Amino acid sequence: MATVASEAVVPAPVVVHRPWWRGKIVQVAGIVALMYVAYRLWPLEYTWPPRLQWNALTGHLDTFQTWLIDERNAEDPSVVFGLFDAFAAFVDNLVAWFDRLLLWLTWVGTTAAGVLLALRFGGWRAAAWAAAAFATFALTGLWPESMQTLALMLAAVGLSLLVGIPLGIYAGLSDRFLKAITPVLDAMQIVPAFAYLIPVVVLFSVGPGAAVVSTMIYAIPPAVRITALGIRGVPGNTVEAANSMGATRGQALSKVQLPLSRRALLLGVNQTIMFALSMVVIAGLIGGGGLGDVVTSGLTTNDALAVLGGVAIVVMAMALDRSTEAVADRTDPTRRHLTEARRKRLRLATVATFAGIGLTVALAKALGAAAIYPGTKTAQDWLLTRIDAVLDYIKDPATIVFSITNSVATFIVVHLVQPLLQFLVEAPWFTTLAGVTAIALVVSGARPAVTTFAMFTAIGVLGMWEPAMETFSQVLVATGLTVLIGVALGVWAAESNAVSKVLRPINDVLQTLPQLVYIIPVVYLTSISYVAGIAASVLYAFPAVVRLVERGVRDVAPDSVEAASAFGATRRQVLGKVKIPLASDAVMLGVNQGIIMVLGVVVIAGLVGSAGLGYLVAQGLQRGQFGLGLVASLAILAMGIALDRVTQAGRRSRKEGIE
Amino acid sequence: MRKAGSVDNKEGSMSRKVRARLALLLGASLVVVAGLVSSGSALGGAGQSCGTVTLNEYGWPGSTANTYVAKYVLEKRLGCTVKITKITEVPSYQAMADGKVDAVLEDWGYPDQFKQYVTKQKTVVYVGSNGLVGHIGWFIPKYLLKQYPQFKTWKGLKGKESVFKTPESGSQGTFLGGDPSFQQKDKELIEALGLDFKHVTAGGYSAEVARVTQLIKQRKPVIFYWWTPEYLNAYLNLVEVKLPPRFKGCNDVGGGGGNLKQFRCAYASLPLKKLFSKEFAQSGSPAVKVLRKFKWPNNEAQNLVGKWITVDKLKPEKAAERWVKANPAVVNAWLK
Repeated sequence: MATVASEAVVPAPVVVHRPWWRGKIVQVAGIVALMYVAYRLWPLEYTWPPRLQWNALTGHLDTFQTWLIDERNAEDPSVVFGLFDAFAAFVDNLVAWFDRLLLWLTWVGTTAAGVLLALRFGGWRAAAWAAAAFATFALTGLWPESMQTLALMLAAVGLSLLVGIPLGIYAGLSDRFLKAITPVLDAMQIVPAFAYLIPVVVLFSVGPGAAVVSTMIYAIPPAVRITALGIRGVPGNTVEAANSMGATRGQALSKVQLPLSRRALLLGVNQTIMFALSMVVIAGLIGGGGLGDVVTSGLTTNDALAVLGGVAIVVMAMALDRSTEAVADRTDPTRRHLTEARRKRLRLATVATFAGIGLTVALAKALGAAAIYPGTKTAQDWLLTRIDAVLDYIKDPATIVFSITNSVATFIVVHLVQPLLQFLVEAPWFTTLAGVTAIALVVSGARPAVTTFAMFTAIGVLGMWEPAMETFSQVLVATGLTVLIGVALGVWAAESNAVSKVLRPINDVLQTLPQLVYIIPVVYLTSISYVAGIAASVLYAFPAVVRLVERGVRDVAPDSVEAASAFGATRRQVLGKVKIPLASDAVMLGVNQGIIMVLGVVVIAGLVGSAGLGYLVAQGLQRGQFGLGLVASLAILAMGIALDRVTQAGRRSRKEGIE
Repeated sequence: MRKAGSVDNKEGSMSRKVRARLALLLGASLVVVAGLVSSGSALGGAGQSCGTVTLNEYGWPGSTANTYVAKYVLEKRLGCTVKITKITEVPSYQAMADGKVDAVLEDWGYPDQFKQYVTKQKTVVYVGSNGLVGHIGWFIPKYLLKQYPQFKTWKGLKGKESVFKTPESGSQGTFLGGDPSFQQKDKELIEALGLDFKHVTAGGYSAEVARVTQLIKQRKPVIFYWWTPEYLNAYLNLVEVKLPPRFKGCNDVGGGGGNLKQFRCAYASLPLKKLFSKEFAQSGSPAVKVLRKFKWPNNEAQNLVGKWITVDKLKPEKAAERWVKANPAVVNAWLK
């Protein structure tokens, strides 16, 4: 389950061309046909047998939680809780301190600091993004909330990196450690945050501390993964050279491996920021405050305000993304050959930057900029009326938009989701289990097949077979649509720079805008429940596929393309016969990422009307049924691991064959 | 293995640089720690007689109405500072136990949490009703009664379930279930009553509001899990379907198994609760007395404030002010 950026280090492999897929597709079709026959013969006759269920687990988990809460709130609690409290208090203070610092600088000072720092370390573009972001926070009238979120993110990202980078370095050096930690990282990313919010609250109470902890659980994995990949990407001969010069292991690490993987490290920072920002709304549920609260309360009392809060989050994410990326590009050692004079000039620029910030802050304070804001002169009301107008149009079932979306949605549900759902839920459990195992075997080999069998059995044993099949049907449909849209747009973007430029901001918005903000409007666009959840999954997942496919196609070695053109191949032929087959690896990675991301929004989908596991996880948090929520999350995790291994193994086996 | 003098020299200067940097880093982190410590102590002191009261707002407009009306009264009449947190329901119990939230003004009842925190640990204190009567039930839009007057009671639904057919329900009728955070037993109830409904969840609160208002705008047939008090009732024109009467031992908590017959009754009508943290209840703050008396005159009053906020887009502060000014007698009774 590699992240998007992490693959940058892996060289594009050369694929041996053979008609492997032909046989596989036929075999898979045969298996599905057999499963279908079984379903027609015995519909609903063999549901997962209660004898094979471990029903007591939920109860045990609930008892454990009750015990933990009683211990926590006892007259004199154990020292262990004191440690958690101390950490929470430390983070609470850290966030409060950042928040007060940002407000103390005044809005003029904070803006100046952000823009000048971006200018010095990232360049003009980064500075422009920073300026735009701060302008948005001020104009939307959400300045204090934005600063609160920014403070929370600074703390969460800082702590995530503090934990993630050392772990990543170690995972980069030790194969055994990497193997041990990978399943943990998978679990941290797939288990929905809703499942661990209550334990986090029991241990860390509510407030910024708890919000930061739950954000860290999600944001640490990319930091570890990308750092490890960066260290591993350093050419072996460089390290050997250092060793032969007598460098100790520590010296080789600090003088060779770390500097050479600097770019990857900075990309890791970038991804950590993006992952952390996607937790803003969920962290708000346990006291994160800031923009998360604006979105949550907006959703129940004022939709337009939720959209506005969402926009502020997106702008913050994009500004941080673009500026960290610019910084990463600049520190690329291959691009940086500094002379002494230039170094001096840069040092001067740094001094000037900080002097400029200091001066602006002093001036702003002297002129009383803090008092000007918060004033009434923001564009909030104007923006809210505009957004409301758009939302009113979307909410009106008499428009042509509604008639189109509603019929498309009805078609998808009636002809895809519903039959698949019925098939998976009503087919005998043992044919489904045997079927998915056989498909895994055909598609990617024995080990993934064993994993799939174990994972699907676990789902049944957990007592989650029926809701899991419900979720599975929606995940399959959503992944299918995601891959379809993602591959098509990805190839198009690779062929046309204009398309690529248009798609990038759209992708960013879809990945960082809190899903509920754009999904509630989707609810209005159809009158069927399952659709909104599927739309949520597809909209969240396809950007990643687009990115991977685009890069894969663009990275195809130019000489193969030239060779094909020299033989007189048309552009379409080059694309269809050379580029796409050669990029099939990136496409497979896209499928893999697509599935993982679809699973990542299962709970959100549950909140907008897809029943199944997602709904149960949400119920677990919101009705205090910790056991139920955790068991449903484990089922999601099991499904995720199975699907991940099946889609990843095909890719890996081919890659290993080449190396 | 040292190679040459020049390299040696360079290394020396490097390490000096490194040391200088380390010192800088240490200095900076000391400043940060000092800042944290001083800010921590600054947070502790509060000057006013009432001090800061933290109220928690939940994710539905009624809760927003409670919180802001209480905030207005506490701030304008008692000079308190009111902080509003937005922690979701179950975690808010722990927040009260930790003293991070002082009061919740509308609790719909979480039997397990209530038993553990209020009855057993006594870390959360129940201080009576907020004057609202919460009631869950099956609702339909009134226009349906014109064609199907029999839908007034559940018996009239029997055999007519297909009126509520949708693409996801096949040949059955669709029953729209509620937010996962609300108490429900509709699956059990449907089975116990022998109705041919498929239970389809609309999702969270906002999603259910979206779905139901959309269907009603199109004047489609719909039967759904709904409740009062709820601001939307002020203009949606809904009718409750009569369910079998309640009896002793009647169970409203579905999803946990149990005898189907126990679920064969209407949902209870329950007074909605106010909860305080133990710390706040014992603090002697003047706000405690006022919040103990805080009480809506009826469900409609809260619905009205909720409607001002959501439909008329009044800022919650303004809506609260408007209601307090229009109802001096009610508010003065809290302050006595």
